[in-house]
Amino acid sequence: MTNVLRRESHRLSRPFSTAGWCSAAVLALIVLLAGLAPWIGLPDPLAMSPPDRLQPPGAQHLLGTDPFGRDLASRLVWGSRRTLAAAAVAVLITLGGGLPLGLLAGYHRGWIDELIVRVVDVLLAFPGVLMILGLVALLGPGSRTVALAVGITGVPVMTRVVRSAVLSVREEAFVEAARSVGCRAGRVVVRHLLPNVAGPVIAFTAVQFGWAMLNATAVSFLGLGESPAVPEWGTMLNLGRGYLRSAPWASAVPGLAITVTVLCVNLLSDTLQDRWNPPGRG
Amino acid sequence: MKHRNWSSWLFLLAVVISVTLVGCQSKAQPASLVYGLTLIPSGIDPHIHASSELGIPLRSVYDTLVYLDPDTGVFVPGLATEWTVSEDGRRYTFKLRTGVRFHDGSRFDAQAVKFNLERVLNPETGSQKARYMVGSLRQIEVPDELTVVLDLAEPYAPLLDSLSQVYLGMASPTAVQKWGNADYQFHQVGTGPYRLAEYVPGDHLTLTRYTDYDWGPSFLRAEGRNQVGEVVFRFYQDPATRAVALESGQAHVMGEIPPQDAARIEGRSDLALLPVPIPGQPLQLFINSTRPPTDELAVRRALIQAVDRAAVVQTVFGSWSPVADGPLTAVTMAHLGGFGDMYPYRPSVAAALLDQAGWVDPDGDGVRARDGRTLNISFYYMSWGMMPEVAQMVENAWRAVGFQVESQLVAYPAALEAARNGDHNVIPFNLSGTDPSMLDSFYTSGGGFNWSKVSDPDLDAWFQAASVSTQLAERITLYQRAQQRIMEQALVMPVRDYVNLNGVSRQMAGLRYDAQGWFPLLATLSVQE
Repeated sequence: MTNVLRRESHRLSRPFSTAGWCSAAVLALIVLLAGLAPWIGLPDPLAMSPPDRLQPPGAQHLLGTDPFGRDLASRLVWGSRRTLAAAAVAVLITLGGGLPLGLLAGYHRGWIDELIVRVVDVLLAFPGVLMILGLVALLGPGSRTVALAVGITGVPVMTRVVRSAVLSVREEAFVEAARSVGCRAGRVVVRHLLPNVAGPVIAFTAVQFGWAMLNATAVSFLGLGESPAVPEWGTMLNLGRGYLRSAPWASAVPGLAITVTVLCVNLLSDTLQDRWNPPGRG
Repeated sequence: MKHRNWSSWLFLLAVVISVTLVGCQSKAQPASLVYGLTLIPSGIDPHIHASSELGIPLRSVYDTLVYLDPDTGVFVPGLATEWTVSEDGRRYTFKLRTGVRFHDGSRFDAQAVKFNLERVLNPETGSQKARYMVGSLRQIEVPDELTVVLDLAEPYAPLLDSLSQVYLGMASPTAVQKWGNADYQFHQVGTGPYRLAEYVPGDHLTLTRYTDYDWGPSFLRAEGRNQVGEVVFRFYQDPATRAVALESGQAHVMGEIPPQDAARIEGRSDLALLPVPIPGQPLQLFINSTRPPTDELAVRRALIQAVDRAAVVQTVFGSWSPVADGPLTAVTMAHLGGFGDMYPYRPSVAAALLDQAGWVDPDGDGVRARDGRTLNISFYYMSWGMMPEVAQMVENAWRAVGFQVESQLVAYPAALEAARNGDHNVIPFNLSGTDPSMLDSFYTSGGGFNWSKVSDPDLDAWFQAASVSTQLAERITLYQRAQQRIMEQALVMPVRDYVNLNGVSRQMAGLRYDAQGWFPLLATLSVQE
């Protein structure tokens, strides 16, 4: 027990870096805007107004308008709901699949471990995007299937990460102790292993969130997500792409939004990783 | 010392740069010209493949028996100097030009014509388009070396138009036999003003000038003195790259410039914009007349009147494309207008039509329903030709009057399948061509492109009569009657008349296009002095 407590205090002693705080603040702002989208007086993101098409950023349209005269700021904020939701759902699916599989493989070892690791290795041999595209082709286009496909594609990596984290703590004295006082496997996993692998898993989940967002937008950029009318960062980027020379903002706005969000997520996950996974522990 | 070293180096550098620049300038006269293509065709044998992209280079490789004069719209001699059609419209007799030689040196004669047409008819050739352009041609007779007689089972009025197209261009029998059907596309030999030098699929296609050429129709005669010795065709599939390639000097001619880039091309002193109206069908949405709810005429009319077609065209295509006003574009023979007057943009009328048909929205959720069924439209569209942009605007307009729209962006094979099965309520498509007979397969019962799923005995009869009639005036009347019916039945919503926006470097002069609108007449092209 003392062992565990010492570990906890050691973790809490590492402060967030400036980059970590900044990215957390930016992400909080993005999530807040997404949450408050219906109440902050944005123009209708679907309302087309041909006379206002391709207006540059300015007083009337903060971020300009797209080729149909729709307000880009409004589409960006409304689009963030869909984009963030797709990434969140995907990550939950990844976590829901990868966490139990990784715990099972890492703690149980033996033939189950062997089986899971083999299957995971095979799946990891496919390029992620290829697998996502294949799954979307199989399940049919739409933002739900995109989230599902991205989520499923993340499961093998998540399984590996969880498993290796479990492997690194399962031989520790406190696990040994729990086992020797007669704890059942379930209790050992939930009460002793899970809290001790949570750090790296959370850090990796954050990385995975950025990856999921990037891939979900990539797939909808390719036209496999929602109908292009629906505001979503990937489809906005695709629409703007045809106007790179005449109206660079139409693609720069969603493009920068994706970049900034993924960058912040990655910085935050770095910080989390430093905090929970000090270099000494590998 | 060090400083002097620097300045002498700088001087040397300046000399080198200026010499290079001067060198470039004299070289900038393109004896070789780069022409941008937009799609990579799956194959380019005109007797076999159906792509319209293949005609852009190959129109200049082949001559046809007749040509359709782009200025007058009249058929003029090509490889045939004169022709007669029998009174019953079933026998065509062509007298051929003498002294014509293929690029490989072999002689063009009546046997060559027979060989080419038989190749097209032979099922082993696997022709995707040419075979369907010759009607019921059943026999080719060669009474003498310079006479060919085509014998048809039934009269086929569009035959001359077909024979004027590159898909029925005259290829060298020697070359075809040498290479076989699979490989001939890489070694094509015709009698046209340019010869095919090299074709690397997906990368480039090179034509070089055929200097012996002197038998073309008058509009193929070059006027400028500096004709182009070599034309290299390259592919620019992504629309966003096309204008950039022109502006950077990578390409000298480019088709299908996106409308949003066209104004910039037009504003430049070194480039010109050459919009060419394309005969054939406008971009149009076919409305399925068998699948509910569009099996009701009122619903089809409501779909049309809910859309501000002028605003769609202006927003997506700019000011270069006219709003389509019928099932054929305004520059097509037998075009009948009046669609806009028949169905003016009136969302209120659309709403009233739906109300009267019992499609109402009592629960105020914005979606109409009747007897527990929502007013749901299944809308498929493809990724090319600005269809996604058009689709977004049209969908918006439909939602505004209470339709629920389920739209799907699909690849062409999936679109074909959906359209064949009738899974769609609405799907866009268009073909180009100079003869109105192209409408047959779209509006006759069981036609290959009958995506409106129409089965109307009158239409069937009119199209049949028009295809066997030898009287032009009668054919035009029949096709116009058919167009009137198509519009009254609201089988289609025409959007815009196709206009190909070509960008061309001002170093080039004399660029013009054939009667089909797509295919450049490279022989007339010259370099500005």
